[in-house]
Amino acid sequence: MSRTSDVTNLSRRTVLALPLGLAAAASGARAAEPKRGGTMVMIVHPEPSTLAHYAVSAGNIPPIATQVYEGLCTYDWDQNPQPNLAKSWEVEPDGKTITFKLQDGVTFHNGKPFTSADVQYSFMEILKKYNPIAPVMLAELVAVDTPDPMTAILRLANPAPYLMKALSGRDLPILCRSVFEGTDVLQNPSANKPIGTGPFKFTSWERGQFVRLDRNETYWKPGLPYLNRIVARFIPDAATRSAAMEAGEAHFAGYSAVNYADLARMKTNPILDLTTKGYEMTPAQSVLELNGRHPQLQKKEVRQAIAYAIDRKVILKDVMFGYGLPATGPLSRKFKTAGLYTDDVRQYDVPDRLDIANKLLDEAGAPRGADGTRFALHLEVNSFGEQWLRQAEYLKQALAGVGIAVTLRSEDTATWLRRVYTNYDYDLNEPFLSQGVDPVYGLNKQFLTSQIRKGVTFVNDTFYSNPEVDRMLGEGARELDAEKRAALYKKVQQVLAEDSPMIWLIDVQYVSVSNRRLKDHTTGPLGTQQAFERAWMDK
Amino acid sequence: MRTGLARFARNRLALAGAAVLLGLVALVALTPLLYPGDPFRLVGPALQPPGGPFLLGTDTLGRDVGAEIAYGARTSLIIGLSATGAAILFGTLIGGLAGYYRGSVEVALMRITEFFQTIPAFVLAILIVAILSPSLFSEVVAIVAVSWPGIARLVRGEFVALGSREFVLACDGLGAGDARIVFRHMLPNCTAAIIAVGTLLIGTAILIEAGLAFLGLGDPNVMSWGLIISSGRAVLRSAWWICTFPGLAILLTVLAINLVGDGLNEVLNPRLRER
Repeated sequence: MSRTSDVTNLSRRTVLALPLGLAAAASGARAAEPKRGGTMVMIVHPEPSTLAHYAVSAGNIPPIATQVYEGLCTYDWDQNPQPNLAKSWEVEPDGKTITFKLQDGVTFHNGKPFTSADVQYSFMEILKKYNPIAPVMLAELVAVDTPDPMTAILRLANPAPYLMKALSGRDLPILCRSVFEGTDVLQNPSANKPIGTGPFKFTSWERGQFVRLDRNETYWKPGLPYLNRIVARFIPDAATRSAAMEAGEAHFAGYSAVNYADLARMKTNPILDLTTKGYEMTPAQSVLELNGRHPQLQKKEVRQAIAYAIDRKVILKDVMFGYGLPATGPLSRKFKTAGLYTDDVRQYDVPDRLDIANKLLDEAGAPRGADGTRFALHLEVNSFGEQWLRQAEYLKQALAGVGIAVTLRSEDTATWLRRVYTNYDYDLNEPFLSQGVDPVYGLNKQFLTSQIRKGVTFVNDTFYSNPEVDRMLGEGARELDAEKRAALYKKVQQVLAEDSPMIWLIDVQYVSVSNRRLKDHTTGPLGTQQAFERAWMDK
Repeated sequence: MRTGLARFARNRLALAGAAVLLGLVALVALTPLLYPGDPFRLVGPALQPPGGPFLLGTDTLGRDVGAEIAYGARTSLIIGLSATGAAILFGTLIGGLAGYYRGSVEVALMRITEFFQTIPAFVLAILIVAILSPSLFSEVVAIVAVSWPGIARLVRGEFVALGSREFVLACDGLGAGDARIVFRHMLPNCTAAIIAVGTLLIGTAILIEAGLAFLGLGDPNVMSWGLIISSGRAVLRSAWWICTFPGLAILLTVLAINLVGDGLNEVLNPRLRER
């Protein structure tokens, strides 16, 4: 037997063993035999405006939608794809063809059998056309072939190594073709009454109150799920959300549905458990964007000086209540697992950072005036919550320290987004950026010259344009060799950190609070954004 | 006037209110000495309880709550006085025109006034600040917009009543011009009522400002009591002092203003005086 086939054999065996064997072993090692039944109440905040998960990307939809919709794959703790609706797959050496063998005996909640036609329709007719991440993640997808009902072949124009990270039910859910065919996808009744293959069926949605999901009695994974029911409750007031967890009325609050400020108290509560696990594939950063057309901010030295002037540890401690890490560069540390993160970049968090900042500003031709001020800037306050005003207040103080006078401007969300992304009428902006499952998502959106798109929110609004970065990001997206890819992204991070088109503040860390009676709620890196098929209630 | 002062002095509650207000004015005057520098400055570790080096503790970012309250008092006074002043000017103008000229002018102006009164005051204030984008100026505009109708109705009522009084009719008969009648004879006879109502308006203005700032619609560059409370709300159960002290400041100030307003009303309102 050759070495190659040995490896193939091993991986195939692992692949087949995993859905039941390994995961069950993992949970078995930690806790007692799972108990069946019970209702789990989870807090989702804020209430989603729609459950059309396939067409809207908002962090509050997946905790509900992924109970109902599944993807071709799930992911293990090392973020490797594992079989789900696809039982195995093969990537051709040129990286342009991916053949999925599908799970037999799977039915949708409406009783229709799951086949390759559903995969084809989901990818080509729904996700590619309507999913917000499709312009990046499915850009290379040209066709899905269905030689037989249990085989789906994705055909790509160019290799897309990142695609294998995005096959979960959170990112690219598989939908039922017969439900959507011939209808307006966005107006389809199943948008808010989802029909999928998942362990829980959608039962009802009382707006302003809860979504009820009930056990799928004919779920294709034998014996699962353990819970009878999941109720997703919506509680607008932060103090009430915390109280519901402390009173044991709700059993799970993921995706930081509980305010960071309350976590210290929750930690000491004997009935509650806190975990930062389950967000390994949900990287996000808070950043300070600099308008590259501003006469001062277009100077690299000024941008670097601002990066030196800010003490990220203060933001971490006093704004984020200690959850997260000071950012070092354009990628969150969450990309360490994939081998794509590097901290071998220009370091801004150094002991003599204020001296360096002042020196850079002096050299950049921005001397202090008689009152100690060099120049004045406006900072747009992120309107998505109280903590961002705190951050803005800190940033103003920090920049005052090096002679930059900052005026805060707080407006409603619509005005803020229009001012920044349509009118470009801003100097400093403090958004919160999700980075997706692969650097290709966050980096391309923020730094490609082609992503300077007037009127599109959360794309390149700093006017950063560097042909070298454009080229490397383009190559990085297509590079199949993991080492070469990592080298490309390392270089990208070094160039970006040097150019400093924005200031990377915090690698955000979400937190889940759970009742100790609820077991096995976080079984993989997608955490609260994957099905609670193995979760169970003790007693 | 002396009897008025004496009557006011006999009203112990009003005196207490006046004392609190005097204290507040003193605090505002002494703020630059007590707390030199920017109240937004991070002066110490975050979330220090009161009683230590910072008398009223520090907030979530490590700012001195005492300094925040002192500067917030200044904001409250500035907004309270300027918004009330502007509301009195505008309300008197509209109410005076309506009450003096009567007829179609009165009908038109009073319908506009009533239109403003039908919209819930705080909702209208939020709307105006949201449209103008939050700043001290837009807050003042919003407060004026919700406060002037009360003054306008009051002044119109007084003018209508005064218009049929003999001394006004006599002036008219002697050939005095409109301006002379209004400014020499009618307005001075309304001042008592305007002062009494205006005092109460200051309290309302301070409350509205605090409410707007609490909702994130205040000027983020200006310290205000509402802003302090909203910054402390997230940690209310672990750091009670951040919300409590500015909350007490609002309570005391508004209470004091109301007591003084009631006292003035009693002194200045002839109907109450005759009791």
